Amino acid sequence: MTSTLPPPAAPITAEAPPAPADRRRPGPGFGTWAAAVLLGLVLVVALFGPVIAPHDPTAVVGLPSRPPSGEHWGGTDSTGMDVFSRTLAGTRIDVLIAVFSTILATALGVVVGLAVGMNESRRGPVGTLARAVSRLLDLLQAIPVVIVGLVVVSFFGTNTVTMVLAIAVILMPIQARLTRTEVLRVRGDAYLDAARQAGQHELRLIVKHVLPNSVRPALLNVSVILGISIVLTAALGFLGVGLPPPTPEWGSMIAHGAGDAAVGKWWSAAFPAAALCVTVAASSVLTNRFTLRRTGSG
Amino acid sequence: MTAAVADAGTTGGDVLAALRRQRWWALRVLALPVHILVFALIAFFLVRLIPGDPARVIAGPDATPGTYEAVRQQLGLDGGIWTQLGHFVAGLVRFDLGDSIVNGRPVFDEIMARLPGTVELALVSFVILVLVTLLLSLAVVVAPRSPAGRIVSGYSQAAGAIPDFVIGVIGIFLFYATLQIVPAPNGRTRPGLVEPDPITHFPLLDSILAGRFAVTSSILSHYLLPIVVLVVSLAPLLLKQLLGALGPAAEDRATLFRVATGAPRRMVLASIYRRALPPTIAVFGTIFGTLLGGTVIIEQLFGIGGLGVYAVNSVAGLDFTALQGTLVLVAAISMIVFLLADVATMLLDPRRRPGVQGSGS
Repeated sequence: MTSTLPPPAAPITAEAPPAPADRRRPGPGFGTWAAAVLLGLVLVVALFGPVIAPHDPTAVVGLPSRPPSGEHWGGTDSTGMDVFSRTLAGTRIDVLIAVFSTILATALGVVVGLAVGMNESRRGPVGTLARAVSRLLDLLQAIPVVIVGLVVVSFFGTNTVTMVLAIAVILMPIQARLTRTEVLRVRGDAYLDAARQAGQHELRLIVKHVLPNSVRPALLNVSVILGISIVLTAALGFLGVGLPPPTPEWGSMIAHGAGDAAVGKWWSAAFPAAALCVTVAASSVLTNRFTLRRTGSG
Repeated sequence: MTAAVADAGTTGGDVLAALRRQRWWALRVLALPVHILVFALIAFFLVRLIPGDPARVIAGPDATPGTYEAVRQQLGLDGGIWTQLGHFVAGLVRFDLGDSIVNGRPVFDEIMARLPGTVELALVSFVILVLVTLLLSLAVVVAPRSPAGRIVSGYSQAAGAIPDFVIGVIGIFLFYATLQIVPAPNGRTRPGLVEPDPITHFPLLDSILAGRFAVTSSILSHYLLPIVVLVVSLAPLLLKQLLGALGPAAEDRATLFRVATGAPRRMVLASIYRRALPPTIAVFGTIFGTLLGGTVIIEQLFGIGGLGVYAVNSVAGLDFTALQGTLVLVAAISMIVFLLADVATMLLDPRRRPGVQGSGS
């Protein structure tokens, strides 16, 4: 990262090694703490959102399209529902879908990654199948998740549980690819041969030795998946294929508010949008922090 | 000289050798139709799993079994799933994606009337996106500690934090509702302006070909905000990747050698980018898919009729054939771009070709 350009004789090799050590301060900085606090706050709101919401999030509680006031902190949307209450209540739905689909996607992805990685160099039909799946996982990353999401969500139908399943299926390949790469790295290690010669069953070997040594990248990627998952849930809601209308969901609220924003009424889109961005940004800051640490120490 | 003589001697063996030398890209290109077919099969089964019976919906709730069967047959949903699959694959190789269940028109024609508009918007945004990313990265490479360099680095850390549709709504509020400097987000041209007859189906290109520059400028002004939104929301993803590759490239031994031999600044920069580009181009390939998905959302937001509106409507109308057709075509486009990026990467860095044993640097 050091500028190598201005003086041609600059002693770069002398400068370069200490630079990464300098830049990574030892303790977590202000940004990390802020992100952790914000994410904690989001989780608290996800748990207690509907309880602390000042108004019923799914009922008409005032005149339509009123700007923010003491009574309605976030104003009301064009049907007269309270924007602030809906944003709070929406946290539960969006964060719930994101958290569970991330857990499911990671679990599925690790299993698929292990299965593919361990069998890829085999002869015979199992090996061929594993290679085909591995190629498919590569290709799937080129296909837009939003369009696959449109189709998969309509296949699973629209309620919270099926949204979780659909998004987990869509995001699984990312985790599977990460795990597969690690499995390929670990697969030739000597301790596996040692365990095999000690007579351990292959399945036990995979669970006890391969899994712990190859699961790290997928686990570190969890907060990235969380971010993608929240955005995807909201994007599908935005396109109108997510949960049905009166449900407080950030994406459909933003879509609903977009029309208001075009005539200058910013509030009905601004609150859910801000909630969405804060959540994703906080988890992204934490990810950067952890991944940088990892590369710094290793 | 001797090589030329040997050439003339063993033409047959030489052709084979030449073929073998081109194998790295030829195999990929040959595999492409197979990949698209595999994905088409996945799309076929995925779409068949959608709950809901369009025949039942169209026939109405109190249809007799006879009418219901007739509707099923008319919709092409009769017979076993394998018969349907046979029809689907046979149609696919003839670029026939079947007729829409809802309105009976050929899906391929319906999509082809809308796809070019979407692809045009995506392509224009893609070119601008790549240029902007390269320019911004230059600020970091030349002076990483300068304010501009720091801002760009910080911006690249925001990758994915602000979704495109949020940036779109902010853009509409700021530039349309408040500042009034972009046209209303409801279409591709000014209302009342007649678009020229389609020649290529690419709206922008058509208007230029037809010499209707009033339409061209109207389309451009309507595209301005969507393009800015797409570029602003996707640039951090690319920038992060590019900066990640540029860092090590700037400290690479080959770069240091250039600096040490007193090569001009231009040459040093070219050397750094030359080393950082292959992994970045691989990401360009996957970004195009994301961009296509983003375009679908942006089209919906800005009321630009295209593939996005079509796909959303087919989900709502349980239009099996339209959905699987859309999925197959979008996948095919994404895979072609992915392949192009792959080949470009291998052209730039022969060590990445399959079967080549790279010796490091």
